[in-house]
Amino acid sequence: MTRAIAGLLEAVLPPLVFFAIVLAAWQAATTLWEIPVYLVPGPQRVLDAAHEHSAELLSAMRLTGAGALGGFGLGLLAGTALGLVFSQSRMIERSIYPYAIFLQTVPIVAIAPVLIMWFGNGFGGVVAVSFILSLFPVITNATAGLTTVDVNLLELFQINNASRAQVLFKLRLPNALGHLVTGAKISCGLSVIGAIVGEMSAGFGTQSFGLGYLITAATGKLDTAYAFAAVICSTLLSLAIFATVSLIGATILTRLHIAPRSSTTNP
Amino acid sequence: MSQQVARMVMLVGLFALLFSAGCGKSNSAQPPAADARSHSPRGVAPDDESERKDPTLVAVTLQLNWFPEAEHGGYYAALAHGYYREAGLDVEIVPGGPETPVVQQVSRRAATFGIVNADNILFGRAQQAPIVALMAPLQISPRCLIVHKSSGIRDFDDLRDMTIAMSNSNAFSQYLRYKLDLPGVKIVPYAGNVAQFLIDKDYAQQGYVFSEPFVARKEGGDPKVLMLSELGFNPYTSLLCTHEDQLEDNPHLLQKMVAASIRGWKKYLESPDEANRLIHKANPEMDLDILEYGAETLKPLAVDSVAEQQGIGTMSRARWQKLADQLVESKQLKRKDVDVDGAFTTRFLRTANTANARKSSAKSN
Repeated sequence: MTRAIAGLLEAVLPPLVFFAIVLAAWQAATTLWEIPVYLVPGPQRVLDAAHEHSAELLSAMRLTGAGALGGFGLGLLAGTALGLVFSQSRMIERSIYPYAIFLQTVPIVAIAPVLIMWFGNGFGGVVAVSFILSLFPVITNATAGLTTVDVNLLELFQINNASRAQVLFKLRLPNALGHLVTGAKISCGLSVIGAIVGEMSAGFGTQSFGLGYLITAATGKLDTAYAFAAVICSTLLSLAIFATVSLIGATILTRLHIAPRSSTTNP
Repeated sequence: MSQQVARMVMLVGLFALLFSAGCGKSNSAQPPAADARSHSPRGVAPDDESERKDPTLVAVTLQLNWFPEAEHGGYYAALAHGYYREAGLDVEIVPGGPETPVVQQVSRRAATFGIVNADNILFGRAQQAPIVALMAPLQISPRCLIVHKSSGIRDFDDLRDMTIAMSNSNAFSQYLRYKLDLPGVKIVPYAGNVAQFLIDKDYAQQGYVFSEPFVARKEGGDPKVLMLSELGFNPYTSLLCTHEDQLEDNPHLLQKMVAASIRGWKKYLESPDEANRLIHKANPEMDLDILEYGAETLKPLAVDSVAEQQGIGTMSRARWQKLADQLVESKQLKRKDVDVDGAFTTRFLRTANTANARKSSAKSN
């Protein structure tokens, strides 16, 4: 028990100490060099701004979080589905996969306004941008997991006259789960970025505002402290979603007795 | 082995390249006010390069808040007709764009002068930015909403059950939200063009009265203009501003800049063609016909009844105070952060107008 606590301390203490040092240096730098608040606000100012606007920030986090989760969920479904299709036909994979890469290289900030024209303003548009951003890591990881199965195992299945479906469900899918969890972890962070970018060009409506709105509105008024607070809130949101996804992923993998793995597999 | 070495060399080379590129960037972000011009490729010079390097001229930069357009016309006129040069100034006008941090640039002296609207100055002062307005060429804000004529909307109270595209970061949009009920109205960010407006009958959007309505009409739309100033929200527009330390350190420079700029504005309102050509050169998106329309539409905004008596560029404390009150009222500014007296000065206007009057009377004689 004490050993567990010691281990926890060992893991948590160094980053916390580092965080404290950075905060202190930040505060000291802004005070010492008298950095004007409109350029870089000190941590105390950011904290004050967060406190003052806590109600708006919380509701914005909820809204942006909903948009991000929507995009992430759709990305996870569509990405897995595409991976399944790719794993079933080498031909389809070869013809479509390059476009999946293409999709990833498209500067999403630049095309967000176009997406909004297609999917409409408001929640739909935000989810669409978030979806496109979270799709790619899922596709690549799902495809990798479904196709890079152990050759020996595949032969074993074939010797026993396994059907296509059996290979898929008993060999490929279990093999892909670890990869999928990795993909999900990458894309859930991206989905928050997507939601915020989407919001900047889509907006949510008249009364409700997400973090993207708060960031642009605060920046427009040179209220850098408030903008920093909103940025930190979006980071916290990403972290919360990431932690949840990691936890769910780890639980699934341990339940199914699959060791979590990185994207490397047998040749 | 040799392959590995080659790879290493390439990597190192790549890093060196990236590093030098990074350095180049950070250099150009820092130049002091006086020689910022040499780093900016997009500025427009009136004449060829050799003439620009006149050592007797004081080099200053003027940072715009948007792509060069008619609302910057007077400054371009002063450049095009050599008024700045006559005043001993080598002015480089630096184009802006969406989210150009003009207040920050001027406050940290990365630009000598800047063009902003009055609300930006008050927001800046509230965040301790040492920025001060020197002259207000546009007395009446060109800010408007355009709606479809066919929608039957007559004024702001008729705005309901529709979509309005407005920038998030703009004071007028928050004032509008605060001032009006807007039942059933969905507010969306402004995409920067009139495409959506043209296809959607229940769509309104922000604009500048001499730009978006013109484009919409040209593309076959039927825009009706609702001026924000008629709603009572009327910040001075295209203000010339500078760092407040300049008031003490460099009054002569400011005096020359203000006088030449006012001369430029007068010229622009009379005959804008040369300035418009310069604007078109700096921003080819702006065709000459729209600029011509812009200059014409600007006249009543620049010379209202007050400016007619007191001269172009005039500002009053009452107007600044009214704007501050509106920003406080609509919860965009805290009362304790309001600094109206620090936000502007008219001391260069008085001398500028008498100096210019002397100049023009000397010319007519």
